[in-house]
Amino acid sequence: MDSMVRNPDVKQRDAAQAVVVAVSSDAIFDPEVEQVHGATEPLRKGDAFSFMKAIQVVNERLLTLNSDETLLFDVILLSNDSEEKHSRIIASAKHYGLDIGRFCFCNKEDSIESLQSNEVKLFLSMDTNDVCKALQKGVPAALLYHQTDPNHQTEDQLKVVFSGDVIGSSEEMLHGLREQGFTETQLQGFKTAKGSVKEFAILMGEMRRRFGLEGSPLCTGLMTVWSSRDVCASALKTLRGWGLLVDEAFCLAGAPRSPILNLGFIGNTMKSSTYVKEGRDYSMYYGLEV
Amino acid sequence: KELRSERDTLCLLIQQPKPQNAITIAVSSRVLFNMDKEQQIYEQKGMEEYLKYQIEHETEPFGPGPAFPFVKALEAVNTRLRELYPESEELFDVVLMTNNHAHVGLRLINTINHHRLFIERFCMTGGNSPIGYLKAYHTNLYLSADPMKVREALEEGIAAATMFNPPEKRTEVSETQLRVAFDGDAVLFSDESERIYKAHGLDKFFEHEKAHENTLLDHGPLKGFLESLGKLQKKFYAKGQRMDCPIRTYLVTARSAASSGTRALKTLRSWGLDTDEALFLAGAPKGPMLEKIRPHIFFDDQMFHVEGAAELGTVAAHVPYGVAQKRPQKKLAEENAKDSSAAAK
Repeated sequence: MDSMVRNPDVKQRDAAQAVVVAVSSDAIFDPEVEQVHGATEPLRKGDAFSFMKAIQVVNERLLTLNSDETLLFDVILLSNDSEEKHSRIIASAKHYGLDIGRFCFCNKEDSIESLQSNEVKLFLSMDTNDVCKALQKGVPAALLYHQTDPNHQTEDQLKVVFSGDVIGSSEEMLHGLREQGFTETQLQGFKTAKGSVKEFAILMGEMRRRFGLEGSPLCTGLMTVWSSRDVCASALKTLRGWGLLVDEAFCLAGAPRSPILNLGFIGNTMKSSTYVKEGRDYSMYYGLEV
Repeated sequence: KELRSERDTLCLLIQQPKPQNAITIAVSSRVLFNMDKEQQIYEQKGMEEYLKYQIEHETEPFGPGPAFPFVKALEAVNTRLRELYPESEELFDVVLMTNNHAHVGLRLINTINHHRLFIERFCMTGGNSPIGYLKAYHTNLYLSADPMKVREALEEGIAAATMFNPPEKRTEVSETQLRVAFDGDAVLFSDESERIYKAHGLDKFFEHEKAHENTLLDHGPLKGFLESLGKLQKKFYAKGQRMDCPIRTYLVTARSAASSGTRALKTLRSWGLDTDEALFLAGAPKGPMLEKIRPHIFFDDQMFHVEGAAELGTVAAHVPYGVAQKRPQKKLAEENAKDSSAAAK
């Protein structure tokens, strides 16, 4: 069971028209901080705090273009924290002026159900396991990229990167993976991820079109980490078919992705359909962990 | 052992060397392919029309650009390297590094397929500067049509050069042997000697070079690339393929063999480097000599030489480094030729 609290400081969006995004509170507020019982000062900013600010910029720009715009980000903060922390979370959101429409407090075990019942278009967390579990249950989910360099965080552009390996996958490609030793569960994971990201991609395509080619606060990208350029081409075509023409495209052919992500996608990345298993010293990404 | 077999299972998917092991050559889309028409549309009609055109013509491959023969030759070397050293990752890795919009992505991939190029890595940055990505990929050489990006790269310590439209009358180049020609000062070496010449004239230049004959010149932006080529050459020599080596390098310098050339050769030697041929032109134009050599690419810091080479059919790339960039080029070279022929008398 969850408890939903509406944020009185934020104008409520029309959830049916908006892009409802649930974000884990551990991403926005630093969970490591020693919680002193009864403490009241605002929580420290978490690693993906600037992501929230970037979302805000997109919403503000959308409303500037059209004050009646309904295709806006509608953020639900998902928290598994103990009850005594709830009011502190709400107060912190107010303190930082975060554009959070609703707070959802629930137990960890009930998170998935909450996500499903609130028709969340995308669940974002920095915890790979949480993202995987959600994906397995058919909830669209993505990894918020962890920024190591606080000096490089930009708040004025939101970058959404889609996975070319997943979106560009085909029966033929999956069969090839099968021959390479991937399990059926892993392959099914690919298909599920591809299906679950479609709706979100369509929405991003629509939202991106609100802005011009240059100077957009929303930037979309495609990254193919280990597949060939033809898989990348297939992904580009698929996304186009869904109404999304990405701004940037990267094909890494096995090169480590973090140097690229650290540069191009600073601070505000949502990466859909995550890779889980990172090979030892040569960062190979393959499949979804079961 | 375990690492090996894990890698085996993915070898179908990834045959690309790790960036730090390979010699990474980053090329922009406009130097790899001919995008003149599209570039015109962009300049005259703006981004939207440009992208619209690109998408409409998506299935039409671009023609080859100035760097195309160079890239093909790199692949020929890779084929030979793989035959001799099948496990090695010391290969050329060509990366398409363009700040083109990803809307052009499909047309670029279709073109790569059409020409059967072995390019699996690319970055389409959608307008952002590619410099950070160059560093992330341990780029050994960056070729672009945009001189500003080339300068930026040089400032970050990455070997880089600007390429232009290929010459109308193009000299035929080998498809099996990669040939790279380098100017000396301000390309392989620093521009320190050129500075002396600029400030104090040719006589002082000769004096200075003679006096410092045994002092090493400092290194220039393309020294590292020559070094990489040398490393690969040695791999062929090690397998008894010195005569048949698919890489050949040339030094083509305005220095003269009798005097100022000595310091250049001594410097190269002490770096453990050499070029297969060293041509000391004593100020004579480089075009005719390059026409005989037929390199896939010639690096020079002076536009005068770059243009002179192109006039006679050689693809030349400009390295915008050093003191030569601040003065009109043609005048300098003329003075150089005049004075050096006077000095030789």
